[in-house]
Amino acid sequence: MDPFKPELPKPPSQRWAFVLAGVGCTFLVLAVLFVGNLWGRTPVKAAIPLVDVKFLATTPWRQSYGDLVAAKEDLSDFDCYGCHEKNKPPPIRYDANQKIIIPKEHSDIVMGHGSHDRNNLCYNCHNEANLLTLQVRDGRELKFNESPALCGSCHGPTYRDWEAGAHGRTSGFWDTKAGPTKRLACVSCHNPHAPDIPTREPAPGPHSLHDAAHAEGAAPAKPSH
Amino acid sequence: MEANQPLTTPDKTSDKAMSRRSFLRGSVAFSGMAALAASLSPLRELKDFSSTEQFLQKYYKELTPDDMTKVLARITNDVERQYGVRPHVRDLRPMDGVEFVYCLNLTRCIGCRKCVHACVAENNQSRNPEIQYIRVLKLPHGSLDLEKAEHHYDTKQVPEKGFFYMPVQCQQCKNPPCVKVCPVNATWQEKDGITVIDYDWCIGCRYCEAACPYWARRFNFAKPEIPKERLNPEMAYLGNRPRKQGVMEKCHFCIQRTRAGKYPACLEVCPVGARKFGNILDPNSEVSYILREKRVFIQLKEEMGTSPRFFYYFDK
Repeated sequence: MDPFKPELPKPPSQRWAFVLAGVGCTFLVLAVLFVGNLWGRTPVKAAIPLVDVKFLATTPWRQSYGDLVAAKEDLSDFDCYGCHEKNKPPPIRYDANQKIIIPKEHSDIVMGHGSHDRNNLCYNCHNEANLLTLQVRDGRELKFNESPALCGSCHGPTYRDWEAGAHGRTSGFWDTKAGPTKRLACVSCHNPHAPDIPTREPAPGPHSLHDAAHAEGAAPAKPSH
Repeated sequence: MEANQPLTTPDKTSDKAMSRRSFLRGSVAFSGMAALAASLSPLRELKDFSSTEQFLQKYYKELTPDDMTKVLARITNDVERQYGVRPHVRDLRPMDGVEFVYCLNLTRCIGCRKCVHACVAENNQSRNPEIQYIRVLKLPHGSLDLEKAEHHYDTKQVPEKGFFYMPVQCQQCKNPPCVKVCPVNATWQEKDGITVIDYDWCIGCRYCEAACPYWARRFNFAKPEIPKERLNPEMAYLGNRPRKQGVMEKCHFCIQRTRAGKYPACLEVCPVGARKFGNILDPNSEVSYILREKRVFIQLKEEMGTSPRFFYYFDK
């Protein structure tokens, strides 16, 4: 093009060039924004509180005497004849409503066995002749770690289920060729003095940990499903 | 241009060397290329983008033992790179003469949801977004109407009077609708009764999720997040190895445990012994005893014809 030519109205191709230059600049700006990650913000994910490890524990609810023996715990509390006299069974007292009076030395015992607490005679299970053992109605004398047979003397169907592995907790190996199956005794879950399983706190429900982390003081969002 | 204009040699040092037009063309082309490159920049974030090895991996059932060794090594390295924990990944095959069955005692279940969280811990489920295989439904006594079920119950203590609790997870159907709809055969039923998913073969179409009448299947909408201190390093290929974004997952009866002879994690943690698991082909197993002796069985949504291997029963 001759620069000394008089100015003429811009030909259409030149206008297009300006449009293209504009588009090019827009591209460049967008490129800078993209590369620098300046446009928008990556959503900040709230840290999700993990479930309390107490809900992951596989240990049984209570420790039975047998567990304490196995764990080599201090068993001095279980030495009945530290306080009681031999050959002299401790007397059992009842109040006017036929409720058993728990002596203050045994105040940790809560009685609640059978409907209306009817099974409230200590010697139904404990052996009055030897407080270190248990007795079955048929005359058998059992050690404390043999208690399932005593429970089974009244709770026949449950005992049968337990023996078959259908009642109570099982853990370890289903395939006995690969390893042992571990069974728990009745008293590992049931308190023999009050065998009803107590209520307990449930683990957090679906989305509740998530909602709590996202709410940040606001009312938790209604779960979508 | 006039025809008689003399041809001039272009002077490469002067300003005229580049015409306005060619400059504009050049700059537009350059910025276009830059924009294209920039638009691909999100790919930089795909650090765990499937390796060529994974991309070229064959179908699970076509893998030779040698291929499988390589695949397991690849997974081990991937997990170690991502989580800093060296896992023990195995490919456990179904055992001969074993068909798994699950029995759940509705009389005993107290709705404590421990199974839900034990499952999450065992099977490396995403904590954020939250993925859980088990839903515990709370139902009023005297009904099995799932319309009345509530799974967001938030009471201080369980069980509540007048209600029973029914945990629902994959029912490992004998006639699984999810397997039928999978367009790429990424999910199939194994001979021990477990319906498995190959996470490397799944295309994430979610047909199986729609087909399942139990809502047992979960989709990884986002990249799963697992804190590395809670990662379970004992893994199986078809089981609990970490999943990636865009694939389905579900309960697989803890393949990494049960095919090694152990009980599933949800059973181990159940505080009341409501969950029972075993080999139905062994007449002396607990599950055989339960199906033989117990009074009531429910196969959930029996009328669907799915024939679940998950049985609900009552004690009395």
